[in-house]
Amino acid sequence: MRRVSANQATDGELILRTGDGDRGAFEALYRRYARPVFGLALRRLGDRGRAEDAVQETFASVWRGARSYRPERGPGGPWIYAVARNAIVDRARARSEPAVEAPDQESHDAGPGERAEASWTSWRIHRALEELPDNERKVIELAYWSGLSQSEVAEYLGIPLGTVKTRTRAALARLADQLEEELDGPGT
Amino acid sequence: MDRGPDFRELVGDELTPEERARLERVHELLVEAGPPPELPPTLAEPPGESSASPIVLPRRRAGAMLALAAAIALVAFVGGFVAGKQGVNSGIHPIHTLIMHGTAADQNASAKLDIGELDSSGNWPLRVVIHGLPSLPKGSYYEMYLTNHGKAIAACGIFTVAGNPSTVRLTMPPTIKDYDGWIVTRESTGSSTHTVVLTT
Repeated sequence: MRRVSANQATDGELILRTGDGDRGAFEALYRRYARPVFGLALRRLGDRGRAEDAVQETFASVWRGARSYRPERGPGGPWIYAVARNAIVDRARARSEPAVEAPDQESHDAGPGERAEASWTSWRIHRALEELPDNERKVIELAYWSGLSQSEVAEYLGIPLGTVKTRTRAALARLADQLEEELDGPGT
Repeated sequence: MDRGPDFRELVGDELTPEERARLERVHELLVEAGPPPELPPTLAEPPGESSASPIVLPRRRAGAMLALAAAIALVAFVGGFVAGKQGVNSGIHPIHTLIMHGTAADQNASAKLDIGELDSSGNWPLRVVIHGLPSLPKGSYYEMYLTNHGKAIAACGIFTVAGNPSTVRLTMPPTIKDYDGWIVTRESTGSSTHTVVLTT
């Protein structure tokens, strides 16, 4: 069977290889998912220290449990999400406090189902961002979360404004390709 | 909820209606998701590898524990620590407490640093109660380092402050052997300037 590089392998392929003791596959999973897991943990635990613990426990569980992954049951991303969610719940229970959303992340009117869906959506978004080329991810992060205008982003990066717009469109299109399910919405 | 940047300004006008609608849906998801967090230095690399597992095992940490115990004793001798009282509402049981003082950059700042017992993940938890450090604008943050002879040698974590005092939880790397102090610096994304604001 042709073996693809870790960068090109699907999440499921990396999990299977991790289960066989492939250290490189494990590190590739870590690079893909450390930030999304950390983001999820921060949303649920509201504490950076416990969120860091949850990330470490998540990947320890990934290493220990990769052999239990069955690709016929679904892709690798949701499997890792479930492992992360369990680690976060365990971390919350260790403090005898319920896992809570960080106060600035969710509408006060959202029910548990909506919050769970919002968490999953954020997870998918943050995961998809990791797959962007560096130059595209940078313009997205600056455009959306730095408070800079596009002209200011162009000046900050030292590139023409037109290039910023081109990269932004390309990044959004690439994200759209990765997030087809989220774009279609439920029931499609 | 923050509405995010103006979509039309981001993508311009050179799109078909179908593509515009598709990209605008992604735009809405990005605004809804919010920014991905920056990984702290403790998570920058995958878990370390031992002869038995890529996850650090107790037998590996045993050597680091002995080295760290010696280092803490050295800090106590050099840094003039005071006996700490057990903190409240944090889960840390301090084994040592240090006082940090503001530098010329922030003369009114101070901090009490509690070093806790080794936790289940093999890290030394730190609880830092900070007085007098100002909140920082977006893109800026504080970072704590271990130092040796005045030189930063290992990072303990990054944080922001909200309120006075502020209490933050950080972790001390278990594998650093020789250090004699701590500093807190003020950092900004994209800047190479590291302003020391607190020191032991």
